[in-house]
Amino acid sequence: MTSRLMVQRVVIFSTVLLSLIFAVMPMTLTLAAWRPEWPLLAMIYWIIALPHRVNIGYAFLVGLAVDILLGSTLGFHAAAYALVCYPAARHYPRIRNFSLSQQALLVVLLVFLARAVVFVLEHYLNNAPFMLHYFWPAISSALFWPWVFLIFRKIRRRFQMT
Amino acid sequence: MSTPLFVRSVSLKVRLTLALSLAFLLIFLDHRLGAMQPVRLFLNSIVSPVQYLAVVPEQALDSLISQLQSRRALIIENESLREDMLALRGQMQRYEFLMLENERLRRLLASEAREDRLRMVAEVIAVDSDPFSHQVVVNKGTRHGVFIGQPVIDAQGVIGQVTSVGVSTARVILISDQSHAIPTRAAESGIRVIAQGVGDTSMLELMHVPHSTELRVGDMLLTSGLGGVFPEGYPVARIQSIVRDESLPFARVRAVPVANLDRIRMLLLLWDADSYEQPIRPEQEAEPL
Repeated sequence: MTSRLMVQRVVIFSTVLLSLIFAVMPMTLTLAAWRPEWPLLAMIYWIIALPHRVNIGYAFLVGLAVDILLGSTLGFHAAAYALVCYPAARHYPRIRNFSLSQQALLVVLLVFLARAVVFVLEHYLNNAPFMLHYFWPAISSALFWPWVFLIFRKIRRRFQMT
Repeated sequence: MSTPLFVRSVSLKVRLTLALSLAFLLIFLDHRLGAMQPVRLFLNSIVSPVQYLAVVPEQALDSLISQLQSRRALIIENESLREDMLALRGQMQRYEFLMLENERLRRLLASEAREDRLRMVAEVIAVDSDPFSHQVVVNKGTRHGVFIGQPVIDAQGVIGQVTSVGVSTARVILISDQSHAIPTRAAESGIRVIAQGVGDTSMLELMHVPHSTELRVGDMLLTSGLGGVFPEGYPVARIQSIVRDESLPFARVRAVPVANLDRIRMLLLLWDADSYEQPIRPEQEAEPL
């Protein structure tokens, strides 16, 4: 049982690590503007799939990692991720029963909310100007959600994680 | 079963409140007090594997492309490089002559001689996908003697300065970042102006320029050496437009950075020859410029 727990932790950790690598992978500027919010997608999946393993604290830590990687003020993404994962953790049984397209719509909302939180903090503390293209990833994240969901579910079933 | 006994021991609301208050505490410490700087060194070192892994596919692709390059293309490239080299060698002779002459003249004027600078080549391993901060991460850190506030240039002009260092990585803030400003001097007229970033890689704004300024469109701005971060005389930007709207307190002057800030790959880190911080490198990578 302990070894199974270990495997679960390792699998979750490696998928999250992979999502962080995808988040900082160099891309051309036009593509980078559409880069989905990979770490948040990973967090949303694990929170609705294994709410007793991955929770708001985990989301907070992943947000903190994003802060360090992007060089933003520490706590911006951590606050946004924790806040956005709250509704996902609160209503996970309902979200599990959504169809993929319904879930994708929810992802638009959640990613938009997370970005809005970061933008508001950046705006008031660092005088960031408003940029519409900062919110485009909400759409691209939703477009990628079905694939993320199916691949992650395959991984979860492969390692019999419940 | 595998579900633990105390699964809902702490309610979600408590967790959220805890996480948010911790986040705001961090924001306060980092933003208001700047107290996280020493911790950042440690944190940057922890996440640096992620940054190194993220460039692996690109590097693999690059090496594949260079392996597949045809003999013909290589010969052509070699020839053009040889020509460039010849041209640069010719200019170098002139430069050495001028440098000696300059030194002699300075000695005549009894002003102190200029020190040589040390430099080290660094490669960009990550560009921030966060549009609110113009920063890049380079593959040199405290192990190589990189320090906070170190000036960074490339072949064309000034890029920015180092804001935080890890053991093997360093974060460079670009001059186009909205929180960055650089003291400059116009090459011809000698007018001192501060060039502030506006969050656009192809644009800087000159602050507090009076309407009666003698600056002209096309003027080259060089670092002035004031402020103590950037050494004097490196090209920063070229003035693109001057709008004299009398309803505003100052003229609106915009300048285009000389370096292509949106496609930097190789950078040069600079050290003062006589300063406390020195490059650390067993090989002769750091050499006098």
